[in-house]
Amino acid sequence: MNPAVHLDGITKRFPGVVANDDVDLAIERGSVHALLGENGAGKTTLMNVLYGLYRPTEGTVVVDGEPRSFASPRDAIDAGIGMIHQHFMLVDPMTVWENVVLGNEPRTWGGLRVDEEAAREAVVELSERYGFDVDPDATIADVSVGEQQRVEILKALYRGAEVLIMDEPTAVLTPQEVEELYGVFEELTDQGKTIIFISHKLGEALSAADEITVLRNGVNVGTVASGDVTREELAEMMVGREVLMEPATTPQEPGDRVLGVTDLRVEDDRGVEAVSGISFELRAGEVLGIAGVDGNGQSQLVEAITGMRKPTSGSIEYLGESMAGATRREHIDRGMAFVPEDRHEKGLVMSYDLVQNGILGSQHDPPFASGGRIDWNASTEHAESVIEAYDVRPPNPDADAESFSGGNQQKFIVGREFERNPDLVVATHPTRGVDIGSTEFLHERLLELRAEGKAILLVSSKLDEVQGLSDRLAVIHEGEFSGVVDPATVTEEEIGLLMAGETLADETVSGAAIHDSVDDGLGGGGADGGDGGAGSDRETAADGGVDA
Amino acid sequence: MRNPLADVPVPLLDDLIDDEYVRSLVVGVVGTLGVLGLLGLLFPGSVAGDLAGIVFSTGTAASTARLAAPIVLAGLGGIFAEKSGVINIGLEGLLIISAFASVYIASVIGIGNAVLGVPAIWIGFLAGIVASTLLAGVFGVVCIEFKADQIIAGLAVWLIALGLAPFMSTVFFGGVNTPNLGASVGWRYSAVMVLVATVASWWTLNRTAFGKHLQASGENPKALDTVGVSVSRVRYAGVLLSGVLSGVGGSALALSIGQFVGSGETMVQGKGFIAIVAYLFGNYNPLGTLGAGVLFAGLDATQIRLQQLGYAIPDTLVQTIPYVVVIVVLALVGRTRIPAAAGDHYETEE
Repeated sequence: MNPAVHLDGITKRFPGVVANDDVDLAIERGSVHALLGENGAGKTTLMNVLYGLYRPTEGTVVVDGEPRSFASPRDAIDAGIGMIHQHFMLVDPMTVWENVVLGNEPRTWGGLRVDEEAAREAVVELSERYGFDVDPDATIADVSVGEQQRVEILKALYRGAEVLIMDEPTAVLTPQEVEELYGVFEELTDQGKTIIFISHKLGEALSAADEITVLRNGVNVGTVASGDVTREELAEMMVGREVLMEPATTPQEPGDRVLGVTDLRVEDDRGVEAVSGISFELRAGEVLGIAGVDGNGQSQLVEAITGMRKPTSGSIEYLGESMAGATRREHIDRGMAFVPEDRHEKGLVMSYDLVQNGILGSQHDPPFASGGRIDWNASTEHAESVIEAYDVRPPNPDADAESFSGGNQQKFIVGREFERNPDLVVATHPTRGVDIGSTEFLHERLLELRAEGKAILLVSSKLDEVQGLSDRLAVIHEGEFSGVVDPATVTEEEIGLLMAGETLADETVSGAAIHDSVDDGLGGGGADGGDGGAGSDRETAADGGVDA
Repeated sequence: MRNPLADVPVPLLDDLIDDEYVRSLVVGVVGTLGVLGLLGLLFPGSVAGDLAGIVFSTGTAASTARLAAPIVLAGLGGIFAEKSGVINIGLEGLLIISAFASVYIASVIGIGNAVLGVPAIWIGFLAGIVASTLLAGVFGVVCIEFKADQIIAGLAVWLIALGLAPFMSTVFFGGVNTPNLGASVGWRYSAVMVLVATVASWWTLNRTAFGKHLQASGENPKALDTVGVSVSRVRYAGVLLSGVLSGVGGSALALSIGQFVGSGETMVQGKGFIAIVAYLFGNYNPLGTLGAGVLFAGLDATQIRLQQLGYAIPDTLVQTIPYVVVIVVLALVGRTRIPAAAGDHYETEE
């Protein structure tokens, strides 16, 4: 029997870039196939070729044993290929059924009327057949992201798709929705549909796919059955060398006190106390990790320290001076670098290019400014150096920030902040959405800063990250430190207990409860370097723009 | 705050209008007229009686229909353009060019003559529509093909028409105002055209596949593109329809008098801009636009007649009545939501 899809020697060249280099790929009917690779490995380009958005420079697409040449997605749809984009192609104010039939509306009255009854019936029939729970009359804007994704799948099925391509399908889902999606995969493949999904998350590929094909720099590195391969082997295939799943940290004697926080209390936007009396100190050459379930006061703590939120009481002392009343600019000028948790809202100006984004926070200072003028040559050089050092792809400083994928935006922000020559680095989720090769690099760079004697406050929902990098690990629960532990000796269970607000002396909590709290808080911890807690990693609209 | 008019129970209206905002508008306008009529019947000698006498007279109805035609029709056109994602603020220009073209062509053929059995005045009417559609087509090419800023291109359409129509009038007739044709299109025709266009527009937008495509094109053009419908084709259709409908409005305006007046702001006098307010006011719903357009035109007509009654109120104050009422109604019904991608250019991939 012919494979559902056979890509035969696909090469796709863009000016100056080979996105896909002679890729062969055969996908069995009724299977789930993961296309795994780092940001910019050519996964999305390859799928765009299959979906008719791009024409291959060389090679053929064979669908069901028949060579095809797609001039547009329309042709691919006609050949039974459907694509579910990472950013859903849905019209928010329209209803579910209107979206499903959009462009292929059943008509009556000689074309003068959309046959609403027939359309609604078709949607209900399809969703019942595949066990989807969607209300055809709900408005898209009112339904959850998981439901929107199912509407996208219905859209493809309504158009007769036999092969479904999904681009990073879990990026926007909560852990529960991810489980539901895996259920949908099963339901679809049981009925003979074929699923190809693009991912850079090892754990996802291993748990959802039957077969995994790894792309690296546009080349097919190999196809393996998901049962026959380990995380480490997959990571090596993706990156092309052995990956240190655990960063190597060396013991180091901390230096002078850089940051002293005493009995800090901070309120959130609603006036509710989010940080309730936290005290700690952080010394030069030391990494203090803060772990905890998102929303336990981490954001407010970090905002108070970086001067973006005024504490209600308590003191913050930085390099021997009180920071009370200091403006945000004074914080920056005194050498505080900050990687914010929301890269779109606080990290970048989306409509600025990387040259402009690269000097944000330093726009007053030499060498970027002199006499009220900005020196664009120096700024461009700076952006280029960050791009090169942190492997931002594509390496184009003149492109707007919004055209980069989430992982590349993140690398650029981290690079900008790390290269500020700070005394204190406050990093929140520094590797969120970044692929494993780059994560490894960012971790190394963080440890280099530590070796240079910088103080580092690291907030992350990835347990392996905070545990592997920190000298001391504080666990935050409801605005208080429930414990400060040695990351080298503490177990995951113990951290889970602390995250749930228990104290370590208390041995009465059952094992099941411990695991629950770990799962809730951390999602896929482990070696899933490409991504962090699935629950907190909600990619937003500007992500995933460039992945060529 | 939830608006109080949304809860007034009216049978049948709920089936026709699912939009709470537009429903409020219709209830508000009809309710006000009803109360006024009732007061007028009960107290014939009072101010309410005078007002009711004006509002419900045939003369007022006629001038309301005449004034409402360009507002409502251009407003309907504006809905089609904006729903597709192209904000057409050049409606005023489309009205001006069609007003002039209709009179010019009718006078070239000569009243009393006919082409293929169609009287000159109706040939003129058609010519107005063609002229407006052509100008809208140019606007469409500039905005969709060449991705010009829609607001600037729209202003250009207005300025071109504002300059061109009186100039051509001077060239052909020796003055910015054309001589009167000596024939006109009765107000009842205008009223029928307005009603037919409103119902047809409502149907097109809400019940046809094209209507869904228009909405998708203005809200999320990429969604439409990925299902294989050409966004630019849908947008061209939206813009050309704005030209056709504005053309009907402009021709109806000029031919209801039988003359094109080109002095000052021309005879269109900002009705194209009021049309924009009308469809925003009507929340992109043709029925709401009809309501808003008739409200504006009716208040304008009432205001003119009220001045003639000789109350001891300065005329300038009376002239503000339409605008005061508009503000009051606006405050009662809340606000509108414009299509998410309106004003944005769209480029397909590769």
